[in-house]
Amino acid sequence: MRMVNFRLPYNTGRIALVLAAVFLLGFLLLPSQLQGLFQQIGSPVGWVLSWPLRAVAGVQEGTAELWDGFIMLRGVAEENQKLRRELEHLKGQNDQLREAAAATERLTALLEFKKQANISMVAAQVIGRDTGNWYQTILLNKGQSDGFKPDMGVVTPAGVVGRIVKTTSATSVVLLVTDPNNAIAGLIQRTRDEGIVEGTTQGLARLKYIPLLSNARPGDQVVTSGLVGGFPRGLAIGTITKIDKDEGALFQSAELTPDVDVGRVEEVLVIQSPNVQSEGERLDAPKVKSKS
Amino acid sequence: MKAGVWMTLIAGLVSVQAVLLPYATVWGVMPDIGLIVVCLVGLFEGELEGLLLGLALGWIMSLFSAADLATCMITKGAVGYVAGLAGRHVVYLAPAVLLMGILAISFMNGLLTAALLNLSNQQDWWWAVRTVVVPQAVIDAMVGGALYWLVWSRLNIQRWVSEYRT
Repeated sequence: MRMVNFRLPYNTGRIALVLAAVFLLGFLLLPSQLQGLFQQIGSPVGWVLSWPLRAVAGVQEGTAELWDGFIMLRGVAEENQKLRRELEHLKGQNDQLREAAAATERLTALLEFKKQANISMVAAQVIGRDTGNWYQTILLNKGQSDGFKPDMGVVTPAGVVGRIVKTTSATSVVLLVTDPNNAIAGLIQRTRDEGIVEGTTQGLARLKYIPLLSNARPGDQVVTSGLVGGFPRGLAIGTITKIDKDEGALFQSAELTPDVDVGRVEEVLVIQSPNVQSEGERLDAPKVKSKS
Repeated sequence: MKAGVWMTLIAGLVSVQAVLLPYATVWGVMPDIGLIVVCLVGLFEGELEGLLLGLALGWIMSLFSAADLATCMITKGAVGYVAGLAGRHVVYLAPAVLLMGILAISFMNGLLTAALLNLSNQQDWWWAVRTVVVPQAVIDAMVGGALYWLVWSRLNIQRWVSEYRT
């Protein structure tokens, strides 16, 4: 135990109290206006702060690469990384091909292919994660100045990563598909049953509101339905591992393992124009190709 | 000069919190270095400095998080203010008292955050206390104690501050 004299004498207690009261009242009386104002002011501040963030992320990445590359069996690590990327790419390709095949059976494949090919995507790098413990998010090195907006979908070749919830001038916050506060419209690829994919507190995902008569089973692939949100139809979300049918419930739900390992994502693609079909387009009968 | 020091401190804290600390989790929870520093600054510098740093850090950290801006600012500001009020009445400081103080403040901050954030139905009160609030309070107390020991005892920063003021 020791004696300390913490501070110089000053009379700022009242100023602090008034300031605290003003902020509290402001947030209570004008919550959205004040938040909007701070968000606007925060945009250039975010740009300034993105530089130290990138610098620290660069140092961290460099150190990690050095560790992986030279200390821990350089050749094996490189090969492993290459194979993992290739596997993710092939998994993504496989899911897209399966979805395309299903669409062909319903005579809409050509239209689907064209629309999928028209997706405009921008690559971004992951430079950090959420500053708190309450949400599962990643931080991207691009923001408003690159055309990023809230609700845009974020993917990798393996599947869906999440959606943007907040942007500054030079950074974006992506809420991951495994966060319980995230909701994405999903579709079971084999049965065509639609539902909502939510994250779980265990870091997995759950497809909710599956009709009771659906014969969905473990192993079925779940993809984006493209009905709402920033995703086109047919992007892989996850694989069903368990079906839950509660007695007397109106719907069944399914536990999913996300196809993307969100803990290891380093680069992502942000969907800028998902080219989502309208309800009218979706229900329209397919046109027969005219003979020429 | 002082504003520059505060800005550098904020930029450093945000970078460390967003980039490095996610790799240093215990029980799936990382320490809130911002809260710890706001707590220490409030304790040693007073309620106005604690409040201002808390509001600024809460605002900046909310830009890089999915958390609500108002919640971040209110909780961090409150931590700085309460720590400042506590510091006004402290004459003797034992390390154990400091640890218990940070533990209590972090715990209260966690409860307040859980109440203010619009979390999903899965994240109920018991989940919040069990998986975030209590582990974070324990980790914050440990890191805060270590930081105090390092900065105030080993680097003798209090002497430097006194010399700078005179």
